Amino acid sequence: MVRAPLASRWVWLLGGISVLVLLLGYSWISHGQQLENPNDTTIPSLAAMLDGLQRAALDEDWLWVDTKATGYRLGVGLLISVVGSVLIGVLMSSLSALEALLLPPLTLAAKVVPTAALAVFFALVGTGTELYITMIVFGISPALTLSIYLAAKAIPVELIDKAYTLGASHMEVIWGVVFPAVVPQIIDAIRLAVGPAMVYLIAAELYLGDEGYGYRIRLLSRRLEMDVVYPYIMLLAGFGFGIDVLLTGLRKQLCPWYVEG
Amino acid sequence: MLPLSLRIRGLHHQYDENKVLHDVNIDIVRGEIVGLVGPSGCGKSTLLKSILGTLTPTSGAVETFEPGSSDGQRVTGPGRDRGIVYQRYALFPNLTALDNVAIGPKLDETSYPFRVFNFPAWRKLRAQHRERSAALLKKVGLGDALDKYPHELSGGMQQRVAIAQALVMKPAILLLDEPFGALDEATREGLQGMLLSLYEDNCAARRAGEAPPYTILIVTHELNEAIYVGDRVIGLSQYWDWSGDGFDGPPGATVIYDRAAPVYRPNAPKEYEQFMAQREQIRGAVFEPKVSPKRGQHVDFWEAVAAEPHGIFACDV
Repeated sequence: MVRAPLASRWVWLLGGISVLVLLLGYSWISHGQQLENPNDTTIPSLAAMLDGLQRAALDEDWLWVDTKATGYRLGVGLLISVVGSVLIGVLMSSLSALEALLLPPLTLAAKVVPTAALAVFFALVGTGTELYITMIVFGISPALTLSIYLAAKAIPVELIDKAYTLGASHMEVIWGVVFPAVVPQIIDAIRLAVGPAMVYLIAAELYLGDEGYGYRIRLLSRRLEMDVVYPYIMLLAGFGFGIDVLLTGLRKQLCPWYVEG
Repeated sequence: MLPLSLRIRGLHHQYDENKVLHDVNIDIVRGEIVGLVGPSGCGKSTLLKSILGTLTPTSGAVETFEPGSSDGQRVTGPGRDRGIVYQRYALFPNLTALDNVAIGPKLDETSYPFRVFNFPAWRKLRAQHRERSAALLKKVGLGDALDKYPHELSGGMQQRVAIAQALVMKPAILLLDEPFGALDEATREGLQGMLLSLYEDNCAARRAGEAPPYTILIVTHELNEAIYVGDRVIGLSQYWDWSGDGFDGPPGATVIYDRAAPVYRPNAPKEYEQFMAQREQIRGAVFEPKVSPKRGQHVDFWEAVAAEPHGIFACDV
């Protein structure tokens, strides 16, 4: 039956099977390729990838250098985007003049393809860390601001009128009533923005980086050293997943009152 | 005459060409529970918004009175002198029942700078606020649900929180906007009983020579509710005889009915005959489009009370 509940051991079993099939399938393809051409590096075996990871982490210092560079750029970019988007999004939902002023440019900016504008950013801020941060901030802030603005706008006006009858000041209505009520939606909007932020960052690193995950992947792909490239891709996915888990945990911690859906 | 809580003078309102309210004048004294009824489209919501301050009427004024003061404060926007309870509860979803009530004194008595820079004093004050709020929640029958979030409470319980939330401010008047419309019959009766017990407190305060603490205006489409809960019923209606007053078209709704309603003790049985007679009278005068009474025909609350004290006016005897 549609949406019939499934016992939890079946959920785990089926999930495990699909991951196992994925790994076995890859090994089988990789093994076939090795039999055909023992010097092939495009589809390395799982063992070769472990060796590659070891090379990147221990024999060379790539992994540390790249993680530091990419992590720093992503962290600062996200931080600036989140602080700015929350500030502007919440204020826009509350102050009609600001709303009228910023809604058109933000709607437009949200449609700009940041990867296409890379050359513009390059010309404006050069190739330093600023470029990557600019890329992330311009890439995700407009959409993030809009979704926070919409969530805050969905707070019923009754709640705001009531806050005034309880003696709230304008600032207390905005930051004491509206903002706390949309924290869960803000966290969810950030979760959705982390993916695009990583896409834009890696894209910029691919083109212009001299360190970082995008740079290393471009360099090693050209040399067909996929035993390092694949682990790098998986590590990036792992970071994205880790951030998502952290944010979900943060939401549960901060907003025990929130019911999803 | 008892001290006023609310005064509405010469209130007119029209949306573009559409005239909604015509010369509405209402005085409500401290301690009354007034039921406001009227056919749909008569401008009940417009009147309520004018009192709340979220709508500026075309002309006329609403004033509220602090206890012991005869100087009215003119309403210019929503403020702490008027409490509001909506049909759909409108509780702060991120606060527990207790904090939903305690946020009132917090917002009213403190500010951001105080809470940040004088944290120890704020902590002390907050403990007092929570104590006050807990006492009030117990009074409305929610002593066991202090730490529950709104989504964990039933509609009736949420509405009790909303009433406590408004009452903690000791407003000059508490506005209830179709407060029990979304609740089932049994829950509604429980809440009506709670309002009647607040009214008993009013009477007790009068007897003790104090100002009655609760003044309530309840907007409802349920005639029975207005008569049962209120000690006075005001009917707003666009169906009145304006033809002799030189208007070209309908001037809008005005007060067509204003009379005392029987006072019930909580859980006391309704006296059906008297109840039904008043019900039919209001239905005919206020709700019937084909009947157009003269403006003052059913408006004699003040004369009647002056002749024979009733309700809150009679409590001191």
